[in-house]
Amino acid sequence: MLSRVADSLYWMSRYLERAEHTARLLAVKLETTVEQTGEEAEASWQRVVACLSAEEEAPRDSDAMVITQHLAFDRESPNSLLASLAFARENARQVREQLTVEVWENLNRLYLKLRGNDMLDTRYPATIFRETLQDLHALGGVTYSTLSHGEGWYFLELGRHLERAQLVCRLLDLHFGAAKMMVAAEPKYFDWLVLLKFCSAFEPYCKVYTAAIQPEKIADFLLFDPEFPHSVRFSIDRVCDALLRVAPGAPPNRRASVERLAGRLKALADFTQVEELMAQGTIAKFLADIAAQCEEIHDAVYAAYITYGAETVL
Amino acid sequence: MFASDGSVRAQFAALAERLIKLAPEELQRRQQACETSFLHQGITFTVYSDKQATERIIPTDLFPRIVTAKEWEKIEAGLKQRILALNLFLKDIYTDGRVLKDGIIPRSMIYGSKHYRREMRGLPVPHDAYVNVCGSDLIRRENGSFAVLEDNLRVPSGVSYMLANRDVVRRAFPNLFRAQGVRPIDHYPRELLSTLRALTPVREDVSIAVLTPGVFNSAYFEHAFLARQMGVELVEGRDLLVNDNVVYARTTSGLKRIDVIYRRIDDDFIDPLIFREDSALGVSGLFNAYRAGNVVIANALGTGVADDKAVYAYVPRLIRYYLAEEPILENIETYLCREPKALSHVLANLDKLVVKAVGESGGYGMLVGPHAAQAEREAFAEKIKADPENYIAQPTIQLSTAPTFVDGGVEPRHVDLRPFILHGEKTEIVPGALTRVALKRGSLVVNSSQGGGSKDTWVLSH
Repeated sequence: MLSRVADSLYWMSRYLERAEHTARLLAVKLETTVEQTGEEAEASWQRVVACLSAEEEAPRDSDAMVITQHLAFDRESPNSLLASLAFARENARQVREQLTVEVWENLNRLYLKLRGNDMLDTRYPATIFRETLQDLHALGGVTYSTLSHGEGWYFLELGRHLERAQLVCRLLDLHFGAAKMMVAAEPKYFDWLVLLKFCSAFEPYCKVYTAAIQPEKIADFLLFDPEFPHSVRFSIDRVCDALLRVAPGAPPNRRASVERLAGRLKALADFTQVEELMAQGTIAKFLADIAAQCEEIHDAVYAAYITYGAETVL
Repeated sequence: MFASDGSVRAQFAALAERLIKLAPEELQRRQQACETSFLHQGITFTVYSDKQATERIIPTDLFPRIVTAKEWEKIEAGLKQRILALNLFLKDIYTDGRVLKDGIIPRSMIYGSKHYRREMRGLPVPHDAYVNVCGSDLIRRENGSFAVLEDNLRVPSGVSYMLANRDVVRRAFPNLFRAQGVRPIDHYPRELLSTLRALTPVREDVSIAVLTPGVFNSAYFEHAFLARQMGVELVEGRDLLVNDNVVYARTTSGLKRIDVIYRRIDDDFIDPLIFREDSALGVSGLFNAYRAGNVVIANALGTGVADDKAVYAYVPRLIRYYLAEEPILENIETYLCREPKALSHVLANLDKLVVKAVGESGGYGMLVGPHAAQAEREAFAEKIKADPENYIAQPTIQLSTAPTFVDGGVEPRHVDLRPFILHGEKTEIVPGALTRVALKRGSLVVNSSQGGGSKDTWVLSH
């Protein structure tokens, strides 16, 4: 596979994951905000803003609709939902000949639809984001069932799960870790519930732990559950699987640098326990470690397969 | 569609009966469905003038244009003859120059052309086929015969629209085809692939790539479409590199050798070491790899020398010279001012002719006689007399019309016809063409950038 094509597939997938995350946070936040007191709601919005925007351009407004408009549709912001979709589509356009007609058309249609309704003029704006989520899930399904599960597919998997692991780490950090300090109020019961919903995790969590909502168990579930698709552990496993399947013909010495990092990350996820993190107060460091190692893997993949110097292989 | 006495021409009878029965709202609905389909497929061009970079579709008219079997037979034979002669001509001027020595065509016209590539002299090309993909523009004359308006021998576009138009019309009127006997065109990508494949002596594991300037090029949709339909790699210049005169693509697993490049980049931009050094679209060293015979480029470089306005006028003579045959398709009558007889005719009839400077394009250096003032014509006459070699003249061209859906009704609009010819080991023409249509009433402009559209073209089997 051309390096440029792998690059575009990888980023298309990262941006789609980011778009899905943004749509879900906004949908959940808008749906749950009515049941919170003003102060709780504001703290909760702060977490969403901190999670979704670059620090310097986070909206200072306290009006939920203004914030939503910014996070969803601001054309100037590279982090908005619309911008993520536009970037995903640009990357897809670069590699149209690698995608099936179904994948391209679903993505293109979704983008055109959202762009066409880029103002919150509806009384129930959450419905826009719910619909977007459904469309994104449909796109995921179409991708899964029409695209060959070859190298390109594994670059999509790699991008999606590196992005997801980092996004979930960021979310957990805002509830458990160092970034928690950014928000005035400590999370309350309702915030833990919302955290689960931010990760589509409420029902899967209840199946494992019942509706007894406990922060430590939530951390355990979202970090280490091996079967739940939005847990950090699950994403790391997918990243490791994907790395075994990309660049099949690359020479062993170049593969080694990537696989060593993947193995280290997998070991970290496999052999850390939530009790330990809580007891020793090291959860912030752990989350930061995971995020940093994801970055290292990203860099190593680029160096080995995408931007390698031609002189090294001639 | 209608003959001069108002009756429906025979080949349209069945179609007209069905289409005209449809209610305007129904037509509107199907038209809308087509446009949505084009938009979703991303068959668009981008208008960069506004900030949001609006994407527009090229309007498609659902009313198909019909070419009868008999008309097509002549078009096909004429185009095959023409591409054969043009390729022999290209070979000749890059080798012996026999046609120049024999005085058939003036030496200065060829060696002075900015599209003549001295670098190509004496360089063998596979099967002596310089032009592998050609799109010639035809118009139907008042007497019903087709004539060639222009040959596009460099990187002709539009074949993806030919295929996309068929696709949407088939979806809009699924029942129409069987009754009509429309010949299929879907095998074009396969024919293109086998044309390209036959250009290389490499037999096993041939690696073919379509070379595009990238996503910002207006024909990018076509480049991606053809690569996907052929199942070959779509590459940009930055994906390729040349080492030891061999072309490689950079892949995740290392470097992969490329054997054939179907390039959709103009000569000027293809290799900064040989041609324009300021271009980042091409590949440094590509030309040397080509010269060394390690890669095939289709179309060959330097084919543009044979498609300018002046050479066009000589094509009938070239056909007689190389093939000893009479041209099957006419040219538009063209007067070469370098020839004394033609010159005096042009000067005497400036009020009826369009005069064009050979080296110019885009309407520059042009006189539209019927629309010019007497003083303008006199001034232009002086310019022609001062440099007759630089001017050609043609009668003002009247494009034929075809029925077109407009605002729920059917109206005539001007059209031209671009069939696509493939030439390599053998010559193939898929029975179909891109019909471009001037959507504004009375307009003769069929270019998509200026409000032109396109429509499906049906070549009938009987």
